[in-house]
Amino acid sequence: MSQEYILEAKMINKSFSGVQVLKNVNLGIKKGEVHALMGENGAGKSTLIKIITGVYTKDSGKILWKGKEVDINNSKDLQSLGIACVYQELSVIPVLTVAQNIYLGKEPKIKNTGLIDYKKMNQMAQSLIDQYEFPLKSTDIVDTLGIGLRQLVEILKGLAIDSELLIMDEPTASLSGRESAILFKIIDSLRKKGVSIIYISHRLEEVYMLSDRLTILRDGMNAAILEKEEIKPVAVIQTMIGKVVDESAGSVKTLTKNKNEITLKVDNLTRKGVFEDISFEVHRGEIVGFGGLIGAGRTEVMRCLFGVDKYNNGKIYLEGKEFVPTSTRKSIKSGFGFIPEDRRGQGFIPLTSINKNIALTNYDIIKKIGLAVSSKDELEMCLKAIKKIDIRPNNPDKSVGLLSGGNQQKVVIGKWLMRDLKVLMVDEPTAGIDVGAKNEIYNILSELADKGVVILLVSSDLQELLRVSHRIVIMRKGHIIKEFSEGTVTQADILQAASGIESDEEVAL
Amino acid sequence: MIKKIRWEKYSRLFILLLFLVVLTIIRPNSFPTVNNISNVLWSISVVGILTSGSIFVMLLGGIDLSVGSLMGLSAVVTVLTIRHFNYSNQSVLLGIGLALLVGAAAGILHGLIVIKFQVPAFLVTFATQSIFLGISMVLTNNKILSCLEPKLFTDIGLGKIGMFTFPIYFMIIIALISYFVLNKTVLGRYIYAVGGNPQAATISGISNVKITMISYIVSGLTAAIGGVVLASMTQQGMASTGSGYETEVITAAVIGGVSLVGGAGTIQGAIVGAVLVGLLNNGMNLMNVPSTQQGLIKGMVIIVAVAIDVMQKYERKFSIKNLLKKKGEAV
Repeated sequence: MSQEYILEAKMINKSFSGVQVLKNVNLGIKKGEVHALMGENGAGKSTLIKIITGVYTKDSGKILWKGKEVDINNSKDLQSLGIACVYQELSVIPVLTVAQNIYLGKEPKIKNTGLIDYKKMNQMAQSLIDQYEFPLKSTDIVDTLGIGLRQLVEILKGLAIDSELLIMDEPTASLSGRESAILFKIIDSLRKKGVSIIYISHRLEEVYMLSDRLTILRDGMNAAILEKEEIKPVAVIQTMIGKVVDESAGSVKTLTKNKNEITLKVDNLTRKGVFEDISFEVHRGEIVGFGGLIGAGRTEVMRCLFGVDKYNNGKIYLEGKEFVPTSTRKSIKSGFGFIPEDRRGQGFIPLTSINKNIALTNYDIIKKIGLAVSSKDELEMCLKAIKKIDIRPNNPDKSVGLLSGGNQQKVVIGKWLMRDLKVLMVDEPTAGIDVGAKNEIYNILSELADKGVVILLVSSDLQELLRVSHRIVIMRKGHIIKEFSEGTVTQADILQAASGIESDEEVAL
Repeated sequence: MIKKIRWEKYSRLFILLLFLVVLTIIRPNSFPTVNNISNVLWSISVVGILTSGSIFVMLLGGIDLSVGSLMGLSAVVTVLTIRHFNYSNQSVLLGIGLALLVGAAAGILHGLIVIKFQVPAFLVTFATQSIFLGISMVLTNNKILSCLEPKLFTDIGLGKIGMFTFPIYFMIIIALISYFVLNKTVLGRYIYAVGGNPQAATISGISNVKITMISYIVSGLTAAIGGVVLASMTQQGMASTGSGYETEVITAAVIGGVSLVGGAGTIQGAIVGAVLVGLLNNGMNLMNVPSTQQGLIKGMVIIVAVAIDVMQKYERKFSIKNLLKKKGEAV
């Protein structure tokens, strides 16, 4: 029975300081299958993977590799078995080349010397790259590559050691649509070669498309193990979160015009070499989605509007008056808010408490006694935020760096909800966040819009764009190339515009 | 869970207590006397004053290596002024004022170079360390300028209220101000934010430039105050009077749990760190450890202290419970 499984985890238990996070969890991976692992944040996916890869020790249970019990303590054990792991958080070294990264620690040597054979190493790397048609060169310095390409390097590291099992944790979280498509092709060809893949992703449509079987975890237990024909979108989501969510909303949308007065008007905004002649108007209470591929210049426009970066030309009008964002402080005071794309790098202060992170933008409205901040007022604000958006754990003194991704994002959003906003810019607000928290974030955005706040939503998630936006603007190579403001629009329409394809027949998806 | 947090928070105080108890047991006649304790505190008072300001820079992930030679410069400036105006009381005030100006100017210079040219603080202050020392040497012609008058000046370092000398009170007052600013004011919140994640701080509307400037100025000012106090203690102005103090400041801060990467650490921790170093020195003297061996022992104690601290922070990985568990599984 167990012969057909290449990897089996049996009755795994694990608890952290008395809290049991995995209860008798089973996972069986067959040879040559793509096995998706799903579950909300905190369901125990990461813990299970970390136990399999030897980062954590299990409390009880067995791990079988090809039917034999194994003890994996570190990445060396893992490699020698033939398991490779592509982590969500990149572990590539920026100052080295692509080839140096791929063969780190296993560089080919010139015969009888300890010296590295760079020529051979570059050739090996290049042939690997060519085999999978990655848009990379073996001699590229990783630092010069975008996040998406770096992820591909990470995947190449896994492919270079002839692994029989590849674990991919959120591999598409930072990839553009085109890069994801390449990845799917790779996954498919690996499957044909008999390589098994554990695929962890929050993007449901990928899982439906790719996986042969699916294990769902909920609250640290096996909620379901499904065969391919049993994988039905709505049922999967229900199993995952135990409640009904309408994820199917978001493939088609009928847009209607907002007739409120104009809150924000942007006129021919230009930042040389980055974006050019960006003009748009947003009405009170409107959510405008910004679609496009990674690198289209959407984030950069938001950063200029918020006063983080400078622009060369153009004008910005807020409620009819010209607005010049000379500093982020000025923008905040004028009613702007910004939730950045790079949550960990730009969103919050990891070592600092929830309390102080929430207060950070709001000291102008928190009471002061002489020079001292009223810690009572500060705490009240934090408790209000925790309650309003359900941050877990609800302990104000907890460092934000220790929270799950979804809760970190809630802290980042929470600080803006505590003040009067006119314009909130959100950049990829739900990247790497589970379905439950996603819905909560969507609800927060709609509530804000109902109150009259203008929301500019940058998103690479098509469902998200369609589901949340009232109007959708598409950017490509630093220009606004299309706007969907009325009538029906589908995912295919957006994808087509974003990739610059004009005729319907050429659309790939 | 709650116990763990408490232990982490108060571990330094616990070690301090341990030190006190051990020294009291070993040297019951000479250690726990008012005189001796007052001496220990007096010996660390200058380090305490310097650390209260330098911690601002360290919390940003920067470092100020120039504090020692800046102390020298400020001592020289003060003494020169007093001597120039014939040891009058007014000249003392003028001298202190000029020293503070020098300190603030040094801070502005550091801040500007670090921000505008993006030179690492380590290199900037390493260079100015040499520059300040050079200026002091030119001003004094590399001579020791003694200054035994007026009383207003000598009292700064040697005067007493009750059992304790003035510098101890200065240290306490300045450390309290530092505590207040770092823990109670918006500026303090911003410093931890910029040190913890400068990009997130920018997006939260905080001007990193302003915060960095203020921090280097504060560090310069406390170095200047330290210089004046040290000049008074030694009753002289000498270019090299403060050399080596920068390492003492870093030692106190690191033992006190201040992260050199920025964003974490407290002034109360750093002061406890300074007291611990003071007690260590005092203990070795009381136990007649030859001064030739003291540096060796001090270095080893610092390594052990920091290692324990780091291990605590990664407690989950290193906790005895986990180590046992891992062994148990391997068997």
